[in-house]
Amino acid sequence: MFRFDPYSPAIDADPFPFYRTLRDEHPCFWSEEANMWVLSRYDDIVTALNDWETYSSAKGNLMDEMPNRAGNTLGTTDPPRHDRLRGIVQFAFTRKAVEGLVEPVRASANRALDAVQGEKTFDFVNDFSSKVTVDVLFGLFNLPRENERMVRDKAVLMVQSDPRTRQKGPEHLAAFQWMSDYAKSLVELRTREPGDDLITALIQAEVNGEKLAEREVQMTVTTLIMAGIESLSGFLTMFAYNLADHADARRRLAANPALIPDAVEESLRFNTSAQRFRRCLQKDVTLHGQTMRAGDFVCLAYGSGNRDERRFPDADRYDIDRKPKGHLGFGGGVHACLGTAFARLASRVAFEELLKRVPEFERVQEQLPWMPSTTFRSPTRLELAAAWA
Amino acid sequence: MAKITFIEHSGERLVVNIPVGWTVMQGAVQNGVEGIEAECGGSCACATCHCYVDEAFVDALPAPSETEEAMLECTAAERLPNSRLSCQLKVSEALDGLVLRLPEAQS
Ligand code: HEM
Ligand code: FES
Repeated sequence: MFRFDPYSPAIDADPFPFYRTLRDEHPCFWSEEANMWVLSRYDDIVTALNDWETYSSAKGNLMDEMPNRAGNTLGTTDPPRHDRLRGIVQFAFTRKAVEGLVEPVRASANRALDAVQGEKTFDFVNDFSSKVTVDVLFGLFNLPRENERMVRDKAVLMVQSDPRTRQKGPEHLAAFQWMSDYAKSLVELRTREPGDDLITALIQAEVNGEKLAEREVQMTVTTLIMAGIESLSGFLTMFAYNLADHADARRRLAANPALIPDAVEESLRFNTSAQRFRRCLQKDVTLHGQTMRAGDFVCLAYGSGNRDERRFPDADRYDIDRKPKGHLGFGGGVHACLGTAFARLASRVAFEELLKRVPEFERVQEQLPWMPSTTFRSPTRLELAAAWA
Repeated sequence: MAKITFIEHSGERLVVNIPVGWTVMQGAVQNGVEGIEAECGGSCACATCHCYVDEAFVDALPAPSETEEAMLECTAAERLPNSRLSCQLKVSEALDGLVLRLPEAQS
């Protein structure tokens, strides 16, 4: 009998054969291990994303939710409250607002490369993607430049689950608690010393003439840090992994950096780092002969919708000329990623610098250590053998 | 389904069938209409899904909400009397045949 267990290391390592079986044979599948339904076809996922009244995020959107998040953050509220919260933070994330980050990202990428200049091999995660991500996000949020390393380690830990117990272990919950306390201290700091930054804006903002509760501000800041760090450094790593394995594509980008944005979009489609999120049904829905009940959780497998041949011909091929309109790498609907403009810009600029200085690289490890996570997918180490320009 | 025509600023016309209950913006994004950016995903928080509604349909649409009114003040291209945010327009059978013109810039 077919099973789909998002806690298993096999799914961390390679979910795509499982997704194909789901799409072709079980398009509306009850996963006992996950204790929820799984939607895997592109059209079904889009239909769900466009209908938040039926597919609610208010009970949490991570496959394994963390305490106090449901109902208190952007990703875990429904309209109209969600839209008001989003209205408050959107200003900091528009394309215009993030344009000013081009040079900081460039400088940050070069600092990271300086530190490993000339090395025959380096770990892309530790030496590049996580460093650049944390550095730039600290700038974006105007955070005090202490604890950078600690913040990054906790952000990565808090999104993981224990593969044996199939739950968040004490270390993951402790990391989440650490981040909440850290966010609390940032909120206190910006209450005492307001600045021209996002956290200050959240503190001072009013929704319906009412200030946000302290816990909402704190949880929103926690989410922004987590979403920003984990998703962006995970994605940069997946992009490097794709370019290591597809030398032709990489050489074309090195020769013509104007192609980088198209390659970013194809990577977001091909194997995005944000693989699966969940919703909670507000009414019974019958789909492909199955009846899902109000109150049931439903997993939206974005990573599978992105490989659906019904939408993307020859979907298992990595093709930087594809221009995959409507891919689900950033989700969709009202909860579509807040950080898209920033993530696109940071990915483009970071890879412009990387490919200038390291036009040739390949993967050292045969088997990669995949992060144990039901929501996200990326390796925890990616050693690259580099030929420096 | 309602058949909706988007006219890009370049003059290119795209005719798209959008399911009832979706927003016009959602149908545009799904079908790769270039002139709709929709940075906020339809939360009425970015004004990058701005469109000009064909005069014949202006009165057929429900009036903008207070939030849409406020966001319409933030469009990158000029706001005209027939300006709307496409993420706030719910598709119904009554919108079959709707024609929308897209502005030169969204952001
Ligand atoms: C390439 C990097 C990134 C990827 C692949 C990504 C992916 C996603 C996805 C798939 C969702 C939808 C979640 C759902 O359906 O429930 C999402 C939501 C979100 N992302 Fe990202 N993300 C990235 C970068 C960022 C960055 C840099 C930030 C912030 C600094 C960010 C902040 C958020 C927030 C706040 C939400 C919730 C939005 C809402 O519910 O209104 N993301 N992201
Ligand atoms: S999509 Fe942002 S206001 Fe319409």
